[in-house]
Amino acid sequence: MLAVRDGELDALGELFERHHGPLFGFLVKHTGDRMAAEDVAQTVFQRMLKYRHTYRDDGSFTAWMYHLARRCASDHFRKRNAAPHATDPAHLNEHADEAPHAAHHATVRDDHALLHNALAQLDRDDREVLLLARFQELSFAEIAGILECSVGAAKVRAHRALRELRDVYFRLQQERSA
Amino acid sequence: MNCTPARESFTELLDQRTAATAHLDARTHLAHCPDCQREFSSLSQTLAALDAMPTPAPTPRLRQNFYALLEEEKNSAASLQLSVARERRTRRRSILGWILSPIAAVALLVFGFLVGQKSAPAPMAPTSEVTAMRNEIKDLRTQMGKMTTVVAYSMLQQQQQGPANDRLREVLAAAKAEHPNDTTLGELVSALNFDPSVNVRLRALESLYQHSDRDVVRAGVLTAMPREQNPLVQLEMIDFVAAAHDANAAPVLKQLAQNETLELSVRDAARAALAQL
Repeated sequence: MLAVRDGELDALGELFERHHGPLFGFLVKHTGDRMAAEDVAQTVFQRMLKYRHTYRDDGSFTAWMYHLARRCASDHFRKRNAAPHATDPAHLNEHADEAPHAAHHATVRDDHALLHNALAQLDRDDREVLLLARFQELSFAEIAGILECSVGAAKVRAHRALRELRDVYFRLQQERSA
Repeated sequence: MNCTPARESFTELLDQRTAATAHLDARTHLAHCPDCQREFSSLSQTLAALDAMPTPAPTPRLRQNFYALLEEEKNSAASLQLSVARERRTRRRSILGWILSPIAAVALLVFGFLVGQKSAPAPMAPTSEVTAMRNEIKDLRTQMGKMTTVVAYSMLQQQQQGPANDRLREVLAAAKAEHPNDTTLGELVSALNFDPSVNVRLRALESLYQHSDRDVVRAGVLTAMPREQNPLVQLEMIDFVAAAHDANAAPVLKQLAQNETLELSVRDAARAALAQL
C-alpha cells in the first residue's frame, strides 16, 4: 500500500487479488446479501484509491482495509434502513419465527442456513466483531484498532458475541427438531 | 481459579493461534469443572459450525469494475503528472525570464546610450511651439484615461443590470466552444468573479471544470474564492480546486477553513480539500 500511496497504482491490483476474496466473504456474512457485499467491496477499493494519501505506515494493511470496510458497511446499512424497500416473499422465511411451521422447517433444515439465520439475528456490532475475530486472521490488537476500543474490550465483545450466537443457533436447532 | 475468570479466557482458548502453554490456570480449571466443560464445548461447537460455513466467491463483475476504476484513476493521475510537469516548465521559464530580462534591459540601455552619444546632434533648447504641443499631448492622454474608466464602468453596470437569463445564455454559449481561446475562458472566469447571479456563477464554474488544467482558469477560480459569499458556489469552487489538485489553493483553503463566519459545511469541505492536497 505504501507503493500505491507513492504513485504506483498498479500495486493496488496485487492487493486486490490477495484480499478481495476474504473481504467479500466478510461482507457477505455481515450483510447477508451477495450483491450488496460486492457493492460494498467495490466501494472499499474505491476509497483505498481515493484516500491512498492518508495511508500511514503504522499498522497492517489488512487492519486498514477492514477499518474502511466497516465504515462502508455502516454506510450501506444506513442507506438500506433509510430507503423503503419491498419485502421479497422468498426471503420472508429467513426471519426467525417463534411459531414453527412448514415454511420455517423447510428453510432451516440445512445447518448452514440455520447458522446464517442465527448470524443475521445478532446485533450488527456483535456480528462484526465475531467475523473479524474468527475469519480475517486479525489479532485482537488489530481488531481493537479497527473498532477503536481497548484490546480487553475487543475480547469481551468477541466472547459476548460468540455466546449470543451460540444461544440463537441452539434455539433455532431446538425449534427445528421440535 | 473459579469459573468466571476461566470463562473470560475462553475466547483465547478457542482461538487456534493461542499457544498451548498459555492460560494454564484456565485450562486446569476446565479439566476439572463439568459446567465449564459444557460451556466450552457448546462454544466450540458453534465455532466449528461457523468455520464450516461456505464462503461464496464474488462474481467477475467485482474484478472488472475494480480494474476499470484503477485504469480511470491511473489516467487521471497521469494527466495530473503532465499538468504538474507543464507547470514546472512554465515556472522554470518564468524564473529564467526574471533573471535574463533585467540583464537584457541593462545591456540595451547601455547600447542605446553609447549609440546616442555618438550620433545625436547637440542638444537644443525646446522652442515654445514644441512645449505647447507636449502639453497638448499630455492633456489628451489624461482625458483619454478618464474616458476609458467611464466606459469600462458603464459597461460593467450594463452587464450587471441585464437580465440574468441573457447572461446565462452567454455563459452557456461560451461553454459550448470545444476549444475555447483565452478570451472565452476569460469571459467565463469574469462571470464567475463578477456576475451577481448565483446560477450564472455556478454554470460558469461548471463550464470551467473541463479546462481545470489551464493555469489561467485555476488562477481565476482562486481569485474568485475569497470574495464568493454564496455557500453553494463556495462548495463547488472547493470541489474544483480539490479535483484540480491545485497546490496553490492551499492558503485560500486554509483561510476558508478558519473563517468562523462561513457555513460549517463550507469549512468542513475546505478542510477535506486541504487534506487531499
